[in-house]
Amino acid sequence: MLFNGVIKMTTTDTSAKKETFLSSLGGFFKDFIAAVAKGDFFVKLSVIWWGAGYIRRKQFIRTLLITALEAAVILFSIYFAPQYITKLGTLGTVKMESVFNLETMKYDVNNYDDSFQILLFSVISIAVWVVALFILMKNVIAVYNLQLKSKRGEHLNSFVDDLNALLNEKFHVTLLTLPVLGIVLFSVIPIFVLILVAFTNYDQQHMPPAELFTWTGLTNFINLFGGGGLSITFGYSFVRVLLWTLIWSLFATFTTFFGGVLLSLFLRNKRTKLPKLWRSLFVVTIAVPQFVTLLLVRNFFANNGIANTMLRDIGITQVLQNIGLIPSDYIPFLSAPGWAHVMIILINIWIGVPYQMLIMTGVLSNLPEEQIESASIDGATKWQTFRHITMPYVLFVTGPSLVTDFVKNINNFNVIYLLTQDVYTTTNQALANSQAREVDLLVTWLFRLTQEYYNYKMASVIGICVFVLCSVITLVAFGLMTRGDKEGVYN
Amino acid sequence: MKTKQLIKDILRHVVLVLLVSFWLIPIVWLIATSFSAYPGRNTSNFFPEQLTLNNYIALFGSDTVANFKAWFMNTFKIACVCCVVSTLFTIMVAYATSFSKFKARKPMMNIAVILNLFPGVLSMISVYFILKALNLTNTHFGLTLVYCASSGLGFLIAKGFFDTVPRSLCEAAKLDGASQARTFFTIIMPLSKPIIVYTIISSFLTPWTDFVFAKMILNSGISDMWTVSIGLYNMLERSLINSYFSIFCAGGVIVSIPISILFVIMQKFYVDGITGGAVKG
Repeated sequence: MLFNGVIKMTTTDTSAKKETFLSSLGGFFKDFIAAVAKGDFFVKLSVIWWGAGYIRRKQFIRTLLITALEAAVILFSIYFAPQYITKLGTLGTVKMESVFNLETMKYDVNNYDDSFQILLFSVISIAVWVVALFILMKNVIAVYNLQLKSKRGEHLNSFVDDLNALLNEKFHVTLLTLPVLGIVLFSVIPIFVLILVAFTNYDQQHMPPAELFTWTGLTNFINLFGGGGLSITFGYSFVRVLLWTLIWSLFATFTTFFGGVLLSLFLRNKRTKLPKLWRSLFVVTIAVPQFVTLLLVRNFFANNGIANTMLRDIGITQVLQNIGLIPSDYIPFLSAPGWAHVMIILINIWIGVPYQMLIMTGVLSNLPEEQIESASIDGATKWQTFRHITMPYVLFVTGPSLVTDFVKNINNFNVIYLLTQDVYTTTNQALANSQAREVDLLVTWLFRLTQEYYNYKMASVIGICVFVLCSVITLVAFGLMTRGDKEGVYN
Repeated sequence: MKTKQLIKDILRHVVLVLLVSFWLIPIVWLIATSFSAYPGRNTSNFFPEQLTLNNYIALFGSDTVANFKAWFMNTFKIACVCCVVSTLFTIMVAYATSFSKFKARKPMMNIAVILNLFPGVLSMISVYFILKALNLTNTHFGLTLVYCASSGLGFLIAKGFFDTVPRSLCEAAKLDGASQARTFFTIIMPLSKPIIVYTIISSFLTPWTDFVFAKMILNSGISDMWTVSIGLYNMLERSLINSYFSIFCAGGVIVSIPISILFVIMQKFYVDGITGGAVKG
């Protein structure tokens, strides 16, 4: 059901849903206009004074509350929003300057503009106004309904009734308010701000508060897609990093998936003794936090690490050196392109397979046993059973999660960052010019751009690309999956 | 025939032993090195030549590079708050989207799916600036906010579980005159133990395993403020690794013990919660 839920939400009713979403929005506007047109004087007045409609029905607590809310919005719009919104067009013009004041013996700082604050608080102000507009319209509709009810002589909900409703038919409002507020503040607004940053020149030379940054239109996008002169190599790097990101996700997802299926099939086989013990031993490896294991493994495979010592003692390093595979007397497991790419995928198998094995154990415990039994009676080989019964079932149950895994791997920051940070330095000058490395994923590139080079503008552009990439993959994959709807087969 | 089967069985277990030992090599190395008397990376031998407990003692000493006691308490504090708030948020959103059929439900769930596609690393930069504007960088409160605030987005797994709870139960409660809130607390919550335990443990684990957000927000360089993950990461700085690698391993072992225990409990509920939901539905 969980997985079905995911599919449903993303595709099956995409078309139907869009209509309902837009049409419900349209219906909302229609209701509002009808309420204003047909309502009495107080309903009309409540467009301006939100409490008007309630005072007409002698609902004083509601009047007071909604008026207080309106007052807060008005105060916000007068005292807070204008100082930022008015500068949104230029993102500020007054640079920070400090003058040494001889009387106080201190530096006096002028009343400068902070571009980032202007951007951030403008977005917040706009968000507040959108919500306020929504409340206004919703309120007018509500007051109009009150008017209709009182005309019909029905019982009008009192304030106490309202509070009760919040625990009953409107319980979802009570439940959702805080979480949604958190999501808006810490997910939605940051995303909007970052999308806007992609259209500015916010980088190391334009760092608030000391410097200003401003709108530059599509320049950053043009730079990323290769139109940006000789010195800028973002286009060159982008193609390479994107390619490796996709290759990595593909391998990371499928190796761990099939590894997990095979391992759990192996463990649940009736001839395997003590399956629980084996399973626990594998689980131990993922119970240790990733940052510990990854940092450890990175030192295990360091250029002067223990793995290299052991291989040198056996003589393998010598052999590789003789056939010209490595130029040095150590194997550059995590410090040379090629080697590092393969090692990262292998180490990820080590991390991911036990995890998939756990999930698969649950999935396989619901295998259609009768089908398998009847198949073996009919003389099917083990491979045939696996190919025609087990795999289709597993793919049916876990197909959607395979897609989400793929997307997660595109954004798999930990594995790449912890394995290669400080260890891997690129020798490719073109990549180095844009601060990328052969082993970087889009997200690690983005992270290092912001953390080490303060290149926020390019990081934002890359972030938008990652988002587009992920959504296209998700939508296409779910679209393909739901086309052949096999739900009936297993239910 | 019988001997053939026997050989097959032995082969099967030999393969298992090989696989398991391959998977356990790093773990064994971690534990072995944590007892090593040599402080840096032992590059010549897998097992340490001399054993000592000093690495564990050093973790709880007064060394600011190995200020493990403070890190552990910081992380524990953050994890406790996070656990309560995140669990509440997740369960609340999951319940609302599963049981209440309000108008904005579908659009809201779609927006949530879309928001989940944005890489966390991306929004992190502006989250950092928001916290900075509120003067909350380099505070544990700020870090806790980051972990908890958008936890409502992770509601899908719990919702999948709630979807399998029979609706007739709620209707019966409604007929008996129970409010929705009461139904939620007295009927649905006890039934949903597996998924609630899963949510509690996984949100408790977030601060222990997170590395990126902690590194970004607690960037003042004062080791008293750090969480376990950045503290341990710092020990592997190029200038420190040769005197702290064994202590790092000891720290890794100590953090892993409580986390492993919670993880083992959680994975049972995880498998129950997820597959129960997937198949029953």
